[in-house]
Amino acid sequence: MALVKRTHDDNLPSEQQAGTPKTLEELQQQLQGSHPLERRQAAQDIVDHEGATALLLAQLERETSAVVRQVILTSLTRIGDRDAVFGLAECLRSEDARLRNDAIEAMKEMPDQMAEIVEELLADDDPDVRIFTVNILESLRHPHVEQWLIDVLDHDDHLNVVCTALDLMGEVGTEAAIPALQRVGSRYEDEAYVQFAADMALKRIQSSAE
Amino acid sequence: MSKLISDQEFATFREFFYRKTGIKFEDTKRYFVDKRLLERVRETGNDTFREYFTTLRFQASGEELQHLTNLLTVNETYFMREDYQFDCLVKSILPEICKTHDRSKPIRIWCIPSSSGEEPYSIAMWLLERWPGINQWDVELIASDIDTGILNTARQGLYSERSIRLIPPSWKTRYFSRVGLQYQLCDDLRSAVEFTHVNLSNVADVRRYRPIDVIFCRNLLIYFDDVSRKAAAEAMFDVMAPGAFICLGHSESMGRISPLFKVRKFPGAIVYQKPLEES
Amino acid sequence: MKRVLIIDDASTIRMYNRSILEAGGYQVEEAVNGMEGLEKALETPFDLYIVDINMPKLDGYGFLQQLRAESIDQAPAMMVSTEAAGRDKEIAYLSGANLYLVKPTKPDELIAYARLLMGEPTQ
Repeated sequence: MALVKRTHDDNLPSEQQAGTPKTLEELQQQLQGSHPLERRQAAQDIVDHEGATALLLAQLERETSAVVRQVILTSLTRIGDRDAVFGLAECLRSEDARLRNDAIEAMKEMPDQMAEIVEELLADDDPDVRIFTVNILESLRHPHVEQWLIDVLDHDDHLNVVCTALDLMGEVGTEAAIPALQRVGSRYEDEAYVQFAADMALKRIQSSAE
Repeated sequence: MSKLISDQEFATFREFFYRKTGIKFEDTKRYFVDKRLLERVRETGNDTFREYFTTLRFQASGEELQHLTNLLTVNETYFMREDYQFDCLVKSILPEICKTHDRSKPIRIWCIPSSSGEEPYSIAMWLLERWPGINQWDVELIASDIDTGILNTARQGLYSERSIRLIPPSWKTRYFSRVGLQYQLCDDLRSAVEFTHVNLSNVADVRRYRPIDVIFCRNLLIYFDDVSRKAAAEAMFDVMAPGAFICLGHSESMGRISPLFKVRKFPGAIVYQKPLEES
Repeated sequence: MKRVLIIDDASTIRMYNRSILEAGGYQVEEAVNGMEGLEKALETPFDLYIVDINMPKLDGYGFLQQLRAESIDQAPAMMVSTEAAGRDKEIAYLSGANLYLVKPTKPDELIAYARLLMGEPTQ
């Protein structure tokens, strides 16, 4: 017994599998297979196929394994097309907190596609959907983030949505946000958190402008 | 251009960088960080730190953030680096694996990146010197890297005095011989590690290594962007045997990368484990 | 000095809670999601956890379930939600929370509940 070199003849079935690319139909079948390992691999391998988004979204909805779900989300993020982001936006309405959070995380990585639907989502009737959308803005690399947040501070009438936007303003705010931060401060005079967050954002902006 | 970064700007940057990478700079690192930040402000053609920070935050490709991360996490590799994890390997991880592992099969340990070989060879020595189980078990040590040049360097096993400075003297005499100003690792150890080329972003490439019992993936994922990092973690999850372990670098946290793994605490180290059963 | 871990992905909220708790005489540490929270709790257990619900990687429920089920720590936990609908209150308690609050929290409220949960005299 000792340190040994890998024996290449121990028939690793995965080596053969790796060599033969599967068709979309085969992968679709595998994506609905009974074993999580099968589904996980299919979700990884399907990325390069045209038409993968719809299949992945369909599987995401019925997928029971948390692990497979993660892999599906990673694949959707890597594909990152318009359909992927629209499909994920639907997950924001889910009752399943984990699915919502996973969708938020994936959408943060799709700045251009997200930009198309941010305004629509920020006008949604459900304040929770608006909160989740602001959460996505947190890491979204897009030049309009600050303006979207200013609009939320000025126009959203739900305190929690406003607070979520304020959390972010401390980091992304520039001089352009100063009036909105002052207005929101006076709009919610009795809310200690609003005062704290608006003050902090203002201090931060002013000190970096000096 | 403004030559200084204000305390407030530094605080904002530190918070941002922490959220993105999980790396938090102490105040003592201020000089080091400022210097590199100002270097990047200048090289990217910005006039002020503020302008640069806007690029850093909003650039769609995330390229500048990656570049900066590379600059701020310079890595020096040497024998016995972060050896508390090797200690944890022989005292806690391997004993736990041996409880359920099939006796007729070898235990497979994978180092990625291999880099110039210091880490896999350190593990080899540690197993031979400090793990009694080596008398009952076969162990395969595989070390992989995306850089084929560095793999050749690793196979050669020729090191500087500085690189081997932390190896106990008795091990040095046992495993190295002096060649001019350098130290040559003995053939027994060189042949105990299999060096292979692998690209962690290529799942088919990675799958060939299944099943792995322990992965050392230290100070590599910090160089990836968020999506690739998560995909790489999933690719490794894929090749790991149920109950297998993964060790990351000391400033890295799987909590920032993927929720697939369980956090395990052993005396001296926190490591991550693939659950025994897939949920 | 008693130690409190704040687990929240919003940095402003972490700072806000930190300023209140530090003024109340507690030592505060932070984590940005549930998994990082578990890592910190494994290193050294805390006297109180203040946990957000919606977070990336591992959310507040997942954090509490693992904290309790794997006997990492049984110290009290306060769960805070930004959600408008309040539909998560029940799940919060089922996950092992000792108290459920809706954000934004008021400073005196936060400190009073923190003291209460840690069994300290309320002022």
